[in-house]
Amino acid sequence: MKNVSLTDLTSEVDRLRAELAEANDTLEAIRTGQVDALIVNGESGRSVFTLKSADRAYRLFIEQMTEGAVTLNKEGLIIYSNSQFARLVHRPLPKITGNYFTNFILEEDIPLFKEFVSKGWTTNVKCDLRLKAMNKTVDVQMSFNILEMDDDVSLSVIVTDLTKQKEIERELKAKNHQLGKLNDALLASNHDLQQFASVASHDLQEPLRKIQVFTKFLQDEGLRELSATAKIYVDKIFKASQRMKVLIVDILTYSKLSAEDIPIETIDIKDVVNEILEDFDRRIEEKNATVNVSDLCAVQGNRGQLRQVFHNLISNALKFVSPERSPVINIGLKKFDPIELDVNVREPSQYCLIAVSDNGIGFEEGYASSIFSLFETLNPKTEYEGSGIGLSIAKKIIDKHHGFIVAKSKVGEGSEFNVILPLKQPL
Amino acid sequence: MILVDDDLDDCELFLTFFANRKDIYVLPPLLNGIELIDYLEKIKSADDLPNLIILDQNMPKMNGKQTLAFLKSKKRYAKISAVVYSTYTDSALITDCTQLGADMVATKPIDNEGYQKMMDDFMEIVKKRES
Repeated sequence: MKNVSLTDLTSEVDRLRAELAEANDTLEAIRTGQVDALIVNGESGRSVFTLKSADRAYRLFIEQMTEGAVTLNKEGLIIYSNSQFARLVHRPLPKITGNYFTNFILEEDIPLFKEFVSKGWTTNVKCDLRLKAMNKTVDVQMSFNILEMDDDVSLSVIVTDLTKQKEIERELKAKNHQLGKLNDALLASNHDLQQFASVASHDLQEPLRKIQVFTKFLQDEGLRELSATAKIYVDKIFKASQRMKVLIVDILTYSKLSAEDIPIETIDIKDVVNEILEDFDRRIEEKNATVNVSDLCAVQGNRGQLRQVFHNLISNALKFVSPERSPVINIGLKKFDPIELDVNVREPSQYCLIAVSDNGIGFEEGYASSIFSLFETLNPKTEYEGSGIGLSIAKKIIDKHHGFIVAKSKVGEGSEFNVILPLKQPL
Repeated sequence: MILVDDDLDDCELFLTFFANRKDIYVLPPLLNGIELIDYLEKIKSADDLPNLIILDQNMPKMNGKQTLAFLKSKKRYAKISAVVYSTYTDSALITDCTQLGADMVATKPIDNEGYQKMMDDFMEIVKKRES
């Protein structure tokens, strides 16, 4: 038995008293809710004791969060974790509290984590890193906030699972990449198509012109040596070659409409129409036609293209004339009624409607939309010359100008083409 | 005047239609821009250069536009009247050639009447430049 002096005993008593006082203080703190977790260094390592106290509702709330919530002490030990965090790292809750947080972070990301933790103790910060979850990694975002509760300070870490987000991001990237590739392919194919149309039309025209030149020779110089039927054949060859010429030129015009960079300006349609009528001077006289042009509107658009639209419409009106009466063509503004014309626009007042009407042969109303398709002709070639592209060109131009074209007609009475153009083009 | 065209039929047509015109003298046609430049470079005196050069657009090696650009970039040749003629003349060709300094862009005619009319226009240009 060891000898114990009085002074030793007294100091031992003092020490125990101090310990008791500390324990009492802690108890008091726990009772009053100042402390809700204790870390005790025991024989089997550290254990954390938490309390069911007045802030239970708050705890339940944290538990229900879809985010992981963890609080750390100054040493980086986990003093609290919600079960969502446990699910994130695929560990049972008891294996989490009391452990160093770094144990759950992917080794490569630990330096980054440490950097943000030290920042987190002074200010609120966020960072993206990866957690270890058994044998896989989980992308997360961590948001660090200092939690000051009475005298105690801890670091709260909200852990948001980014797996879904990253997956979506990856998918989006892949889809974007795919889209980019498709777009490139489309551009290339469009370019090829335009190139093809252009080259084909140019190159087709050279032999075609030769046919015309030498048929002319036959007509003019070989005339005497040709029989009557042979002369008819030569005439047919020349007519066919002329028709082909029109077709090629129209295809070329149509294919060129796909080009994107067309200059836009404000155009008075009346000027355009008057210009066209000058060009048609001779034909108007030949057909003994009357053309009435009333006041028209000014719109934004490409002059050359809009000119083409009205050129084609007026040309048609002069072409499909009735043999029973002299042609009358009216070009004027009309009130735009979207419902009557079955056109879907939000602001009818932002459009103008120009009607080009004639008293020609007309067509069955059932064909009113198919006449705008490529190569669609309703009339026998022998009576009315045409490529069947004119109205397609008009429609494509109007489409490109964000407008509409609606055809109305009665067989034997005449046709009316309503051109609806927005006053302003989108920038 | 000199014609530069790789199409032998067209060269022949050109010569046939103008064989009877007394107001012009057509030099033997050349097949492309390279041949034209070789030909022009061999002419010693500027007085012996042709008054008019007619360029087909579609030619191998050096097309009408390229040849025109070359001619207009050389002081010795820039003052010679130069026209481009082609089976198909679209607005792009007309704009490009006019910008390069072509005096005219013409569409190849298909009959005698068209050829004579085209030549009248060409002669007009040459006369205007000389006066």
